[in-house]
Amino acid sequence: MFPTRTLLARSVWKGPNIVPLPLPRTIPPPPGTPAIKTQARSTTILPNFVGLRFAVHNGKIYQETLITEEMVGRKLGEFVPYV
Amino acid sequence: METLKTQQKSLESFFGIGQHTSARLLGRFHIHPTAKVGDLANKQVLDLTAALSGMKIENDLRRQVLDDIKRLRDTGTYRGRRHAVGLPVRGQNTRSQIKTAVKLNRVDRRL
Repeated sequence: MFPTRTLLARSVWKGPNIVPLPLPRTIPPPPGTPAIKTQARSTTILPNFVGLRFAVHNGKIYQETLITEEMVGRKLGEFVPYV
Repeated sequence: METLKTQQKSLESFFGIGQHTSARLLGRFHIHPTAKVGDLANKQVLDLTAALSGMKIENDLRRQVLDDIKRLRDTGTYRGRRHAVGLPVRGQNTRSQIKTAVKLNRVDRRL
């Protein structure tokens, strides 16, 4: 009846927060590819982000994080503490 | 289980079974909530034991909760970090009134 009650989270009709990011065309990206710079900390980590490097803004600098399998479904900002 | 206690009370002595689950279990096997443990028929006891062995209670449940916290910590999430420093995990204010979180929120939480 209340699908969000159990999730205690975002409304289902909105879907996950998907932000258009400049993802690399080839997966895995060739070595030497710069990390994807973004300020969208609330972006939901999708399964196709696994293995990519993101430079997430922490309020001061862009801090790099490597996305692993376990991080899928969480937000980018959860892994980059603000200063 | 003590003989004098009601069946409901003795079920609730398990970690992971509260009022709701114990009432559901008693209803499933047609046992009155005020029935004492000693009054039960042999079959009812067997039924209850079978149902309990299929559930995740006591140490299994404790381990699961600890593993969940540990996974958050190992993944490096914000929630895991809050557990590690012993502060409120779900975005509460921390200006005052955080005694419970300081007491309980650990990576190796006592349950």
